[in-house]
Formats: sequence, structure tokens, C-alpha cells
Amino acid sequence: MSRLLNWKTLLVVAGSVAACVAPLVMADLTFFMRTVLAAIVVTGLSMLMGYAGQASLGQGAFVAAGALTVAIGTTRLELPPLVALLLAPLVAAAFAALVGIPILRLQGHYLAFGTLALLLMVQAAMSAFDVLGGAFGISGIPAFGVAGTAFSGQLPYAYLALVCLGLVLTLTHRVVHSRFGRGVRALAGSETAAESAGVPVGRSKVAVFALSGAYAGLAGALSAFFTPYVSPDSFPAVESFTYVIMAVVGGLGTVWGGVIGAVVISVLLQVLNSVSSQPGLPPTAGPILQYATYGAVLIATLLFLPRGILPSASAALGAGRRRLGAGAGG
Amino acid sequence: MLTIDRVSRHYGGVYANRDVTLRVADGELRGIIGPNGAGKSTLFNLIAGHTRPDAGSISLAGQRIDRLPAHSRARLGVAIVFQGARLFPGMSLLENVMVGAHSRTRAGVLAAALRTPYQRREERETQALAADCLERVGLLSWAARPADSLPLGQQRRLQVARALAGRPRLLLLDEPASGLRSEERSQLAELITELHRTGTTILLVEHDVGMVTSLAQQIAVLDLGRVIADGTPDEVTSDPAVVKAYLGTGAHHAAR
Repeated sequence: MSRLLNWKTLLVVAGSVAACVAPLVMADLTFFMRTVLAAIVVTGLSMLMGYAGQASLGQGAFVAAGALTVAIGTTRLELPPLVALLLAPLVAAAFAALVGIPILRLQGHYLAFGTLALLLMVQAAMSAFDVLGGAFGISGIPAFGVAGTAFSGQLPYAYLALVCLGLVLTLTHRVVHSRFGRGVRALAGSETAAESAGVPVGRSKVAVFALSGAYAGLAGALSAFFTPYVSPDSFPAVESFTYVIMAVVGGLGTVWGGVIGAVVISVLLQVLNSVSSQPGLPPTAGPILQYATYGAVLIATLLFLPRGILPSASAALGAGRRRLGAGAGG
Repeated sequence: MLTIDRVSRHYGGVYANRDVTLRVADGELRGIIGPNGAGKSTLFNLIAGHTRPDAGSISLAGQRIDRLPAHSRARLGVAIVFQGARLFPGMSLLENVMVGAHSRTRAGVLAAALRTPYQRREERETQALAADCLERVGLLSWAARPADSLPLGQQRRLQVARALAGRPRLLLLDEPASGLRSEERSQLAELITELHRTGTTILLVEHDVGMVTSLAQQIAVLDLGRVIADGTPDEVTSDPAVVKAYLGTGAHHAAR
């Protein structure tokens, strides 16, 4: 027990230190930000898929909701940046709850396609209505800042995003290991039995969907401040597919799986980018390589690490412990 | 305690339950038997709230419950042990049983996010309660194991522990002895007797007629969705209609 705990603590500490040092040594933080923001979204998606057993191919819709809250809130309503940032996850959660009530009646593939359709509708609405930016999008989002100060350069955003990721992970851990979280995990196993144990199945599904939407909205808000521009093209469907792949590769049903999946896939994408921009390769090489790699990565994961990287690794580490007999649960 | 008044439920043109009327007194252990397809499981689903009656009413302690969702009925004290395993895979035994206490606890998402003192105390109490329930069914030493690793006999006992965690007023047991070995059966019978003695009202559906007649004071017999007999074990087993129903579909049950 203690040996495994030490391993985990060690890895978490090492990862955190690396994450805090990395922005200082990197020349451009766009890749770093994209990875951390993806980790925030995927932590929520991994919770939704792994613990609640509900799939979503449209998390981008809630990223968009958060980004639009910041874009519209700061440029048109002249909200202070901090208020806009705090409001974004709430707006995204409310949006997720509202659409979740009807859409979560769908099961499995139907739910996945329903959420994808939602994302496409959000994109269409964003380009159709000028309030949401229209074809040109919304620019002129002010720098983030608290109480009169304003962020300058990329570095403060990197640390703000890391703090948000830390909060999201803490929150996820607490929620998963709570009465509500147990109810959610139970309904993924058997809705009938969960309901008979007193778990309000429909309401719990909507609540966990809203929470994953809130995470996505938070990431969207951070990206809106960082970029600082929001348009219908900011949330392509392929990015929402990437979130799913990150969640599956990292390991569903774990708190840290989303982070690991986001880092692994982001690094992979970066490598592919530099490969496909080599001279002599056609401009279509990038997307083709990306899709081909997604397919290969998914197949390889399902074949060799069917539960994802993190559960397989911790099973390997914990094998010795289990052979010695299990300790106290909780 | 439980009043079922002329309840019917049909699927297409086939009645699974037809004009079923049953009154179960507080603290009673009522057996329900009947050949395959008699409508026993449908009756349980109607009481637990997984399906709604087409006609008739179901009341618990004077309160109509037949339109309430299943989780609200759990809150009123109805618990069910399903015929199949219906466990929560990926969760430990202890966590499985803790879910059973869901209707008796109240800490929400926000309390969990903030780890309020109330939430932490409730978590500790729920853990202690779950451990207690696991001990009653003899599974405490396995508390940290994943539920899906259990053999069938233990899965049934885990389900019983999960039901107990809700401190039910009315416990529905749907063929709890099926698939168990004789030693496990007698352990289960002891557990049921003890629950009954401590005041839980129990409805027991069981194929093992011998087990039902030894445990229940009164037995209702269902056949083709109707109650064809309701009385003491002696009355019921000597009832010509009951004998005929069993001989018609499966004589070996009556012979036990």
C-alpha cells in the first residue's frame, strides 16, 4: 500500500514540478497552453465517460460556451476579466444542463452523435448570429488581470491555466470519492440497481454532464483570454474527437488519466506537425498523418492497453500489493 | 405496511399481473411462489418502481407509491435484491454497499467539492455503516476487493448487504437462493430470519418451496399473473388450485 502510494506521490510531484518549470524554458507557450487546456477538458470528459458511462463527441460546444462568455462579457458587456472568467464555467454548465436534460435520454452511440450534432449547431449559430461573433468572430478581448493589474506576455496565462488544472483535478478527486460520485459510478454499472438504491439517475447524469461542461467552459474562457480571439473556427469537430482519444488513451475511470492522455497525444501531434511540415511533403500531409495516427493510436491502445495508460501502469505497480492481500478500502 | 390493490400490468395483450391484491402487515415475512412466468418479478418491479401499473394502486404505510420514481421509493424504505447480480462493477465491495445508503444520506456535489465537516462526518458514518452491513453477510474481510471479482453466491450476499445499508422497512428478495449451494442457502435463511426478527417487513419470492414454507408465515401463490391462493404454508400447499398450477408446469417444485 505505502509503496504504491509513494510511487504515485512521487510521480505527481515530479509531474507538477515539470509542469511548473516547463513554461520558463519554452520559447513559445502556445503548445503548453493548448496541452493544459486540453487536460482540463479531458479531465471532465474522462469523468463523464469513465465514471458515468456517458460519451460526448461535442465537448467543444461547452468550450465554445465558455469562450463566448469571456468574449462577449469583456468586449460587449464590459465585465471585469475575473468576473468573466468565473462566469464562464457557470454559463457552460447551465448550457450543458439545459441540453443535457433531453439529450442524456439517448444511450451509447446515439448520445455521442447527439453531442456531436450539438457542437455543429453551436458552430453554425456562431457564424450565423452577429451577437455570437458572426463570420468574423470576436476580437479585442482584453488581457486578463485582477484589481487593475493586467497580464502581459504568455507566462502568467500558463500559470493561471496550471492553477485551474490543479483545481479541476482536486475537485474531480473529491467528487468522484463522494456520495454523488458513487451514485454516478453506480448508474454506469446498472441504472436499475442504482435507482433502487436511491440514486436519482436522470438528475445525476445531468449533474455530471454539467460538471464536465463547466470544465470545458473554464478551458474555453482561458483560451479566449490567451488567444485573444474567438470565432466559429476556434472549435473544430476534430478537436472534440481528440479529447475523446486523449481520454481513452490516458485511461477512463481515473482522475489523472485525462492529464496523461492530453500530454501524450499533444506531444504526438506536435511531432506529427514538425514531420508534416518538412520540405517536399504536400500540404495535405498534416491532416492525413493526424487522422492516420489517431486510428493507429486508438487501435494500439485498445489492443495493448485496453484500460488506458494510467490504469495499466498502476495495475502493474499494484500487482505485488494485491498479491499480498488488499488493505482497507475507501 | 404494503397494500397492493387490484394491480394489473400487461405487455401487449399478455397480462403479467392481473387484479393482484395483497396486503402485507408490518413486520410480516410473506412468501410469494408460483411457476415460471407467473408474474412474480413483474410484481416486484411494480413495487420497487421499475415499471408502472396499468391499473390499480400500491400503497406503503398508507401513502400511494405507484407513480413515484424508484429512487423516491428507496427513500421511503423500499429495497430490492435482484435475481441477477446487478452489482456496480469497478467499485469495491465497501463502495457498493455505501451506494445502498444513498437514500439515507444527503451530502451533495457542493459539499463534496468543499469537503465540509458535515460531508466528512457523513462519509465516515456511511463507511462504518457499510462495513457493518458487510460484516452481517460475512463479507467484511473482502471489503476492498472489486465487486466483479466475487463468485455468484457472494454477489447475492453483497446485494443483501447493499439493501441493508438503506435500513429498509420493506425488503424485496427476488429468488435470493437461486444458484446457491445448500450451505449458502442455510446461511441465507438464517440471515432472512434474523432480519425478520429485527422488524423488517420482507417479501420473499423463491423457487425453493421448502425454503419459503419454512420461513414465511403466509404465502401468496401467483399463476398466470393472478393470485390463486393466499394463506398459511399448510393451507397453500394443500390447495387444489395450487397443486394443479404446479403440476401443469413443473411438478418437481411441488414435490420438494
